[in-house]
Amino acid sequence: MPEKKPPKKGGGAKKKPEGRFPPALCEELRKAGLETRDFMFCCTGDMDNDACYRDAWLAFDKKGFYIAFGKAEVLKSKNRKKALETKYTVDEIISVPANEIDGFEVEQYVSTGRLVMNSAGGQTSVTRFSIGLAGDFDGFKKAFDEFKETGEYTHRGGGDENESKCKKCGKPCPPGQDYCRRHSKSSATAVRLFKFFGGHSAQIALILLLMISEAAISVIVPQLSTRTLYDKVFANPDGLSQAQLVKMLGSLVLGIAGIRVVRVLFQAADNWVTGSIMPRIMFNLKTKIFNSMQKLSLSFYSSKQTGSLMDRILRDANNIYNFFVDGVPRIIVSTATMAGVLVIMFRMSWRLTLIALFALPVLFATLVLGDRLFRNMHHRAWRYYAKISSITSDNINGQRVIKAFAREDDEFENFSSASEELRKAELRLSLAEATLFPMLEILVFLLSAAVLGIGGTMVAKGKMTVGTLLSYIVYLEMLKEPFGFMAWVSNWWSRCADSAQRVFEVCDAKPDITEKENAVPLDDMRGDVELRELDFEYEPAHPVIRKMNLKVRAGTMLGIVGKTGAGKTTIANLISRLYDAKEGSVLIDGIDVRDIKLADIRKNVGMVSQDIYLFIGSVADNIRYAKPDASMDEVIAAAKAASAHDFIMKLPDAYETRVGSGGQRLSGGERQRISIARTIIQNPKILILDEATAAMDTETERRIQSSLTALKKGRTTIAIAHRLSTLRDSDYLAVIDEGRVIEYGTYRELLQQKGEFYKQYKIQSEALKTIGIVSYETGAAAEDDDEKKEE
Amino acid sequence: MSGEIKSQTISPETLAAEYVHPANCSFRTAENGFLSAVINGKEYKRVILTRALPLNFPDDYICVTDAEKNELGIIEHISEFPEEQRKAVNSELSQRYYCPVVDEIISVKDKMGNFYFDVKIGDFKKSFTVKDISRSIRQVGNSVYLTDIDGNRFKIEDYEKIPPKSRRKIEPYLY
Repeated sequence: MPEKKPPKKGGGAKKKPEGRFPPALCEELRKAGLETRDFMFCCTGDMDNDACYRDAWLAFDKKGFYIAFGKAEVLKSKNRKKALETKYTVDEIISVPANEIDGFEVEQYVSTGRLVMNSAGGQTSVTRFSIGLAGDFDGFKKAFDEFKETGEYTHRGGGDENESKCKKCGKPCPPGQDYCRRHSKSSATAVRLFKFFGGHSAQIALILLLMISEAAISVIVPQLSTRTLYDKVFANPDGLSQAQLVKMLGSLVLGIAGIRVVRVLFQAADNWVTGSIMPRIMFNLKTKIFNSMQKLSLSFYSSKQTGSLMDRILRDANNIYNFFVDGVPRIIVSTATMAGVLVIMFRMSWRLTLIALFALPVLFATLVLGDRLFRNMHHRAWRYYAKISSITSDNINGQRVIKAFAREDDEFENFSSASEELRKAELRLSLAEATLFPMLEILVFLLSAAVLGIGGTMVAKGKMTVGTLLSYIVYLEMLKEPFGFMAWVSNWWSRCADSAQRVFEVCDAKPDITEKENAVPLDDMRGDVELRELDFEYEPAHPVIRKMNLKVRAGTMLGIVGKTGAGKTTIANLISRLYDAKEGSVLIDGIDVRDIKLADIRKNVGMVSQDIYLFIGSVADNIRYAKPDASMDEVIAAAKAASAHDFIMKLPDAYETRVGSGGQRLSGGERQRISIARTIIQNPKILILDEATAAMDTETERRIQSSLTALKKGRTTIAIAHRLSTLRDSDYLAVIDEGRVIEYGTYRELLQQKGEFYKQYKIQSEALKTIGIVSYETGAAAEDDDEKKEE
Repeated sequence: MSGEIKSQTISPETLAAEYVHPANCSFRTAENGFLSAVINGKEYKRVILTRALPLNFPDDYICVTDAEKNELGIIEHISEFPEEQRKAVNSELSQRYYCPVVDEIISVKDKMGNFYFDVKIGDFKKSFTVKDISRSIRQVGNSVYLTDIDGNRFKIEDYEKIPPKSRRKIEPYLY
């Protein structure tokens, strides 16, 4: 029974703790009377037994299991400025002798989990935890199981004192980084993005020079077009003759026109240089993302939606492109213009400029606040827009079902109500925009009016010329656009940084399946396959394969039977190393697949699965996908072996018929036969048939079966099937249930055992009889034999 | 003998759900804290309850399974059972479906495609991160369910009843 101890105050061992809890926590635990040196496994929880948030620390050693509850607070260090330290307080410790515990169980509910202790007295709930910690608690359970079984736990683990902590909040952060994602600096993303421009520094310098020149020219123009025109020509302060004035006016006009032409030339040169390097940089970025995605393991694709991956290549890269092609030049030009204009304005009248500078922050703040308000409203409108898109897409894809159930009116109703919500959201947005923008205009107008009033007074007092005042107002107007732009450019940058972050997430993702440095080449495989003590789970605490042992001799055929979800396809995925085992190993020719070169596995292990994918291209291209250099003779031979040649020749362009997305429609059986031909051309030593004929009618299945019989010759074949009839040629059969082999033997032996296989056989033969297929060939014969023996 | 295993024929009778009601079933909380039941005279030391409609009808259509996840029957309405048994059933359900309830939203910050929530759950301040908000924030009537990147779920019981400041913070993400 659990024994509760009040924590001891003070004291404790001096030796450094060896457990994986942080030293400060070990110190606290020792003070509370717990010896942490011999901890074999540590784990951190976040709730107590009543599901109230409370920090919890679990550990076990040879003597017992311990759970401590308390509080961990991240505080600023007293000794080192800016550094953070975690203060631990331990309120309660529960310890249970190890010999009283039979084991633990991890139960997962909807939002929480529970660690349950099994002992002679029954089951006791130890603690609850947030569901996100299920993996950690499952690790704890397994570590304890190993300790109970062997009396030892070899790989000490659990909590990690060396884990890097965010400098801002003290929470764990990605390896090698100082900040967690929440507190990561977007400047770091910018620096990384700018690295893509590394090879083009000369062009970038030229672009910068051209843009600053453009801004400088824009700033000069009002000096000539307004100030000089009014003060030197119209006011004629030097009393020039009309001819001299016309000459001066002509020079001014020519000068202004010349400056504008030069500006346009600079702009053209800038666009030309930008246009020449940006596509190259975007090409590098897109190919980097695509290349990174190709290297990632299947698990990455299972966890991310394909749509969001396509977004990353297309939309995110375009977001980055637009910001750099459009946004960055405007930032540079706006900054240079604002700086130049303000310098000139100060030179013209520092008093007026100070007045303007007091008013500008108000304008800027209004713009920023308006931008935030609009962002929220835009976001809401976007959500409705996304809802309408998904309703439309659902509707188009589900037309057959909609029509079959006559639900057109309901679908229309659904679409209309979402459209109505969008209309309301857009109306609110338009009204807000229609209100705020005129208000901003009024603000700007008031500022100009104030400048005009004060400036006019100065002109009247002779402290300023008319030309200076008018050009001053032109400069003030010139500030409006860059100010407005700078108020919302941060939003644009944050969208670009979002995209960049997502792109880098793909680029930085580490593939689960990697080739070892000294991987063994196994070009010429024999084809022996062995699963040894194999454990696998896609999600923590949900084992799919448990301690599985199976052997398949080279050249023989193993049939795998089992219910849906029994783990059959997972075995196929593990043999072809699309996933790696969590515990135990898959051996090919006695070598762990993790030690074999990946290219050799891909070359020698072929799979025909029920998920058939044909790429966009011709039938011939699809057949030679595994061997691009295959001759047409080989393609036809493979198609014939797969019983595909006849139907291919009936297609409009025979082997050159375009298939895949947007191509010729093929039936499931036809597509499957092309995929079998693809595997035949690969000529693998180990062939995995994963429900290869599950979706076929009996006639097509028979045809494909004969193709497969030809394909199996001289190879190790692992066939997974629901229909037992497809496995009658197997040398051995394994019946799988809940990730374990429950029966193993020949077809006949399994029927005689009268276990799960026999049960499935009976159910299927009854079902076939019901639909009028009486003879069940070999199976039925075996049953007859069986009955005769019994008689 | 070849007739040990009877073939399964599908008929409306076999498809119909087996309902459990006070006449054929009783529940009680065992000494170890787990829910036990007697169904059609057979005692089950531990039964597990699963809601068929957890969001809209949490007290109706509750599936009763044994520890090995074999279905024993369906409770149509919890309200049919005597109060003591109802308490035991509700206690088991509240543990299984426990979801921390957000009382106040302190802040929601959007950064790099992640939404960082700082909330108050009772007196406890909790921070969590939500990604892909269109999937991770679900509104059912006035309740809002938030699922963070680790799969933890949080609930706002009635977003119209939380403080107005909090409501303004969550509203942009609701339909």
